[in-house]
Amino acid sequence: MPETPNHHRGPGFWLATAAGWALIAWGVRGALLHRIDTRPPQLLRFFVTGLALHDAVFAPAVLLAGVVLGRTVPARWRATVQAALLVAGTAALFSYPLVRGYAHILHNPTSLPRNYTAGLAIVVAAVALAAVIGRLLLRALRVGRFVR
Amino acid sequence: MPMPDGRHRLGRSAKAFATDPARPLRQRRYRTPLRDERLAAWLGAALGVLFTTCFLTGLFSHAHQHPVSWFPVPARPAGLYRVTQGVHVAAGIAALPVLLAKLWLVWPRLLSVPPFRRLSDVVERVGLLALVGGGIFQVWTGVANIAQWYPWRFSFTASHYEVAWITMGGIVAHVGAKWAVSRRALRRPSRRPRLAEADPVLGASAEEPHPGLSRRGFLATVAGAAGTLTAVTIGQTVRPLAALGVLAPRDPRQRPVNRSAANAGVTAAATSPAYRLEVTGRVARPLTLTLSDLQALPATEAVLPIACVEGWSYSARWRGVTVAELLRRAGAPPGATVRVESLEADSPYRASFLDHAQAADRATLLATHLDGEALSADHGYPVRLVGPGRAGVNQTKWVTKVVVL
Repeated sequence: MPETPNHHRGPGFWLATAAGWALIAWGVRGALLHRIDTRPPQLLRFFVTGLALHDAVFAPAVLLAGVVLGRTVPARWRATVQAALLVAGTAALFSYPLVRGYAHILHNPTSLPRNYTAGLAIVVAAVALAAVIGRLLLRALRVGRFVR
Repeated sequence: MPMPDGRHRLGRSAKAFATDPARPLRQRRYRTPLRDERLAAWLGAALGVLFTTCFLTGLFSHAHQHPVSWFPVPARPAGLYRVTQGVHVAAGIAALPVLLAKLWLVWPRLLSVPPFRRLSDVVERVGLLALVGGGIFQVWTGVANIAQWYPWRFSFTASHYEVAWITMGGIVAHVGAKWAVSRRALRRPSRRPRLAEADPVLGASAEEPHPGLSRRGFLATVAGAAGTLTAVTIGQTVRPLAALGVLAPRDPRQRPVNRSAANAGVTAAATSPAYRLEVTGRVARPLTLTLSDLQALPATEAVLPIACVEGWSYSARWRGVTVAELLRRAGAPPGATVRVESLEADSPYRASFLDHAQAADRATLLATHLDGEALSADHGYPVRLVGPGRAGVNQTKWVTKVVVL
C-alpha cells in the first residue's frame, strides 16, 4: 500500500505554489535586507532548531507518552486522562518562561508580577477537576459521542 | 566477487525495504482513529484563521512602528490598536495547542516511503518546511517575547515580521496542495468517502470502536486547551478579566511599564532642574519651557489607553497640554508633521512621529499627570506623549524635544 498520498494536482496547485513562494521570497528578501537586525545565520539556525526539536524530540516524546498511557490507564478513563494531559500540558509549555522568570533580570516589577508556579498549579488542578467532573457528567447523561 | 545482477539486487532490496510490514518506523504503526483527513482539515482551517488573524493584525502593528506615507495610521477609534494587538497576541497564544495537535496528527507522514513519487511531491514537501518551521518559529518567539525571554541575539520585531511573510507563503502553498482533499473531507456525511477509502494507511480503523478520545472529543479538547489559555491570559488587556489572568505576563491594574527610567538611563536628566522642553524646527517662535512653564499653560484631560505590542493594555486619565496648543503658540505652519524626541539616548523608540491629523487631534497630549497624580519616573516624568490609537512604543516617554518637520 503506497504511503505517499496520490492526490490530484492541477493548475490550482501550481498557482498557489507560485503565490506562496512569492510571499516566502518576500520574507527572505526582507530578512536579508535588514540583516543587521535579523542576523540571518542565527535566524536560520533558530528556525531549523525549532523544526528539528519538534520533529525529533517533542513529537516522539508525545507519541511515547501515548503508548505509556495506553498501557497504564484503564480504558474507561483513557479519554479523560488524554484530555486533561493535553490541556494541562499545553498550559505547562506556554508558562515555561513565566515559571522560570527570565524577565526578572530586567528588574521591572510590573513584568511577571505574579507567582506563576502557583498559577500553573491552579490551572492544572482546575483542568483535572473539570476533566473528572466532565467524565462523570457525560457518563451520567450517557452521551457516547465524546468518549467511547 | 563482482555480482552480475548487482543493480537488480539493489532494486529488490529497496522494494523489500519499502514494503516490509515489520520495518520499524513504518507509518502503519501510527494508525489511530484520530488521524483522518477530516480532523486534519478542521485543525488546518482553524490554524489558517488564527494565523491569518495574526498576520493582518501584525501588519497593522508594523505600520505603527514603521510609518509609511501611503497608509496613515488612524487615530480613531482611540482604542483601535489596543483591540488589534490584544487580538494578535490572543490568537497567537490560542494557536499553540491547535498547531501542536495538527503536527501530532500529520507527523507520521514524515516516515512516508518513498518520500516522493512526483515532482509536485517534492515541491509540496519543501513548502511544508516554510509552513511548519515558520509556524513553530512564530508561536515560539511570540510566546517568549510576551514573557520577555530572549534566548536569541536577532531583533525580535524584525525577525518575527519577516518570518510572518514566510509562514503566510507556506500557508498559501499548503492550501493549494490540500484544497481538493479538504473540500472532500469537510463535506456532509452522506457525500463523504468512507474513511477506509480516504486514508487506507492511517485512518482505516476509525470506524471501529476504540478506547480514548473520539474524533469529536479530540477537537473539543483542543478547543478547550485554546480556550483555557485564552481565559488565563486575556486579563492582561481585558481589565474586567484581570483577576482570572493567573498566567498573564502583566496585570493591567498595576499600570505596567516596559522600560523603567533606570533601564533607559534617564533618571538624572529627567529629574534635573536643567530639564527643558523645546519646541523647534519649522516654527516662527521656538519655545523653551521648564516643567512649571508647561504646567501653567491651559491643560486638557483625556482618557486614553496605553497598549503594548506584547498584547497588554490599560486605560488611564491623562492631563497635560495638547500638542496642537504648543504648535499654535510656537507659530507652526498648519498641517505640519512632528517628531517627538525622548531623553532616552539608546533605543530604536527614542523618537516617534505625529502626522498632521494626529498632531491636530484634541486628545494628543504632552501629559504631566496620570490619574490625577504627577507622572512617576517609570511612566515618563516629567512629560509623556499620549495620543489616541497609538502603539505603546509611540507614546514617547521622557519627552524633551518637539520638532516641527
